[in-house]
Amino acid sequence: MIEQWGWLLLWGTVVGLDLVSVGQVMIARPLVAGTVAGLIVGDPVAGGTVGVVLELFALDVLPVGAVRYPDYGLGAVAAAATAAGAPGALGTGVGVCVGLGVAYLGEVGIRVVRSRNTEDVRRHRAALDAGETTAVVSAHLRCLARDALRALSVTAAGLLLAAAAYRWPPVTVGGAVLVTVVLSGAAVGAAAAGGMRLSGRGLALRWFALGVAAGVALVVVL
Amino acid sequence: MTRGLWRAWLGTLLIQASWNYDRMVGLGSAFASIPLLRDLPKERYRAAMERATQFFNAHPYMAGMEVGAVARAEHDGVPGDQIRRMRHALVGPLGSVGDRLIWAGVLPAAAGVGLAVTVLVSPVVGVVSFLVLYNVAHFAVRGWALRAGWRSGHAVARALMAATVQRGLRVVGPLATFTVGLALPLVANWLAADFQIRTRLAMGLVAGLGIVLSRWIVPALGGLRFGLAAAAVGLLVGWLW
Repeated sequence: MIEQWGWLLLWGTVVGLDLVSVGQVMIARPLVAGTVAGLIVGDPVAGGTVGVVLELFALDVLPVGAVRYPDYGLGAVAAAATAAGAPGALGTGVGVCVGLGVAYLGEVGIRVVRSRNTEDVRRHRAALDAGETTAVVSAHLRCLARDALRALSVTAAGLLLAAAAYRWPPVTVGGAVLVTVVLSGAAVGAAAAGGMRLSGRGLALRWFALGVAAGVALVVVL
Repeated sequence: MTRGLWRAWLGTLLIQASWNYDRMVGLGSAFASIPLLRDLPKERYRAAMERATQFFNAHPYMAGMEVGAVARAEHDGVPGDQIRRMRHALVGPLGSVGDRLIWAGVLPAAAGVGLAVTVLVSPVVGVVSFLVLYNVAHFAVRGWALRAGWRSGHAVARALMAATVQRGLRVVGPLATFTVGLALPLVANWLAADFQIRTRLAMGLVAGLGIVLSRWIVPALGGLRFGLAAAAVGLLVGWLW
């Protein structure tokens, strides 16, 4: 258990850094973060399932410009840790609840890090405006370290929340299924609204409708 | 690519690390530019770094184009004021093209495919297909942007107007909306697989409520706020169950 938590903390930190600061190769997408976290805790199906639900919520976000966005990747790590080991739909709902809370915490963390970065840059304004290489490199690395600390601490908070939900389940078996149903529906609704927003009103909306029709046809055929 | 260009490319992978409200990715752009500016004479290097640390913002994958173009212009001895104007002029186009091409195109398209493969095959295969599809496009764009900037210098606007970019912008939007649309019924069916018809209907009702709320009644609500509200209601009812 302790070893698994160590790996989850490491994975969460890497995932948190990928969101904005390093690479953006999209391991921070909940589908990826949740499935890998599931593999770490020995339940890739539970990790994949909470990853899919959180990915639907994430489809509603267009990370354009300086927009603030929830850290669904860290949410998926905590969600996978919560849902692991619970049979079928029992763990998914409570896991996603934890995941959404952690995603919000991650969003707040990003705002804090960006404010601290701004203060840091203002403090070293003279050296930066003079184009001093050491000032540029050290400020950049300090900001990077700040984001790593954010990712690590949000992951740790998420794992504590997961442990609490595992130790003291907030709902009964019937209640857990109900939470899964409500959140799965909410996720599909959020993704559909996001898809429609992405499409706008023109030709792309017709492509979206065509995609939905093809998906429904596949469901019927398969 | 030359060694300096490779190191600059690696620097662009960290371009948003020092994102701040004053200079946005200005500092990250300066950090990535260092390997390309290093071989300038000392005074010109310092003047170039002064300019490079100022405000700049762009899509992170496209920002390499500014890094390359500015470095080339500095090497070509383009006057400082002209370089400053070029940096400002690039903010809008690099942001707009990157957002449309990647955030509203490649990302949702790859996510749609990843979700569909996850529910049709397995989560691990879904994740691998998503990462491969997305990152082929991602690294191609990053590499092209830096090289095109370095090649073009202050005539970089021509690279943005290239036929491949324009064609990509036309194709990727409809592709993204189609794959997201395709994935939705498949995922909904997969999530509801273990439930009886009445439970499935309840799930559909919540989904419909989500669409109406997020799309028409409270568009600013966002997926997370709607999810948190749904979680609160679900937990409360589940606790009373």
